[in-house]
Amino acid sequence: MCGVCGILYKNRGDGARAPIGADLTSMLASMVHRGADSTGVTVAGQSRQSDLIVRVWAEDDADGQQALGKVEANLEANGARVKARSRVGDYLRVSVDYQGDVQKLADALVDMDGLVIHSIGECSEVIKDVGTAGDLDTRHNLGRLRGTHGIGHVRLATESRVDISHSHPFWAYPYSDVTVVHNGQLTNYHKLKRKYEDMGYRFQTENDSELIAVFLADKLALGATLSEALHDALGTLDGTFTFLVSTRDGLGYAKDQWSAKPLVTMETDDVIAMASEEVALRSVFREEIERVEPQENEVMTWSI
Amino acid sequence: MVDLDAGTLTTRELNLKIKALAANGAEEIRVLNPQARHNLAVSVLAPCDITFEGSVGYFCASLMDGPRVTIRGNAGWALGDNLMGGTIVATGSVGAAVGSTMRGGEIFVGGNAGARAGISMKGGTLIVAGSVGFMSGFMMQKGRIIVCGDVGDGLGDSMYEGTIYAAANIESLGNDAIFDRISEEELISIWETLEGYGIKEQYQFRKIVSAKKLYHFDALERLEKTVI
Repeated sequence: MCGVCGILYKNRGDGARAPIGADLTSMLASMVHRGADSTGVTVAGQSRQSDLIVRVWAEDDADGQQALGKVEANLEANGARVKARSRVGDYLRVSVDYQGDVQKLADALVDMDGLVIHSIGECSEVIKDVGTAGDLDTRHNLGRLRGTHGIGHVRLATESRVDISHSHPFWAYPYSDVTVVHNGQLTNYHKLKRKYEDMGYRFQTENDSELIAVFLADKLALGATLSEALHDALGTLDGTFTFLVSTRDGLGYAKDQWSAKPLVTMETDDVIAMASEEVALRSVFREEIERVEPQENEVMTWSI
Repeated sequence: MVDLDAGTLTTRELNLKIKALAANGAEEIRVLNPQARHNLAVSVLAPCDITFEGSVGYFCASLMDGPRVTIRGNAGWALGDNLMGGTIVATGSVGAAVGSTMRGGEIFVGGNAGARAGISMKGGTLIVAGSVGFMSGFMMQKGRIIVCGDVGDGLGDSMYEGTIYAAANIESLGNDAIFDRISEEELISIWETLEGYGIKEQYQFRKIVSAKKLYHFDALERLEKTVI
């Protein structure tokens, strides 16, 4: 069992930012009973600059200081100009001016010992950690993050180990701004993973959900719309799933053929929100709501 | 009338209070601020009126025998799970597996229900004014399911006994479920039941029952045959 949630504020083309970090934190805190192994979020639309935001986790570097220097040097060596950096423990966030191929940058970083990329994106960032939403908020000050949309996840691990890298959301290596949270298990994961590895894709974890992100990003890169990519996923992925995807421009969900994993969605004039349980929606929207429960083989997308 | 504010109580405290009030003869209990929380009013075994002023979460009013529960809002998965007796009315929509394994009593849903409504029902009546999701009535063994709106795929799959009545579009029937002739008396009985919930429209229901082609109770396993 896991819990997923997503939120998107509409009509934010004017640059006004919404309290995505705080909303996701309350929704995830209210679903702690669905999983307390780890918690993570993607916050999107914080900035509309052309900079790339690189978020990495330095596995073996307790204080992160040493790793930060190495990461910066590596980025600079690959043609990125570092504009800002920050660090929370062994989590590093570097903002760079970079015009080249994201894959080149990602390959260079992931080849460094003990370094895991959590996300690379122009507008979205992944923040994830073991423990609960409260732990994540305390450590990373999620509540202050504003944006246009985002997704979140609480994990009760079933198929792969509990650590920071196997937490959700999963970033679609090596595409910017595509991340996924997933509740369920894929039964054709190993087969599909081998197929995508043969195509040249790299996987950073042994978590089946990472495959969903790569699958969708690959389709998007080939020119599919998000809705088309999600429909392709329904036909290709086997197993149980309700997953949410966040891209540069919006959000989407897909639900498996058995409707095995819960999801409820709601929409007002200003906002779209969805979560595994209504209790999560109600943690943000205190008044009674009209909610829809999507059914089997269902896909939906929204844009900012 | 006794008011309980769910916002100030843990789920266990709230349920213990409801059970104590019901056991001591309270007639009306009103629960404020349920905020879609799970496991509310579980296993209440004495008659009384319980009203939730707002939406509830999973397993609300499950394992219940006796009360009349009203939910002014939505409910999550498995509303009235294993209901023994009493009635549950939800004015909004409910999640998957409403009335799962219920043995008696009546559940009325004013909005839509999710997948697997009435799964493995063993008695009682489940009424949905809106639509139900796929695999509704899966493996039901007894009782009635009445659906006024649309029905998803696989209705009544592998049902043993019991009856399903559906008034609108049925996406597909499940394995071993077949249409049967509905009698005038049955229609009138359904209309009367619906009228009790304020539904005056006299829908033309279709009746779905088990073809019983999956019954193999007398067939022995190969191993058993060799033993005999």
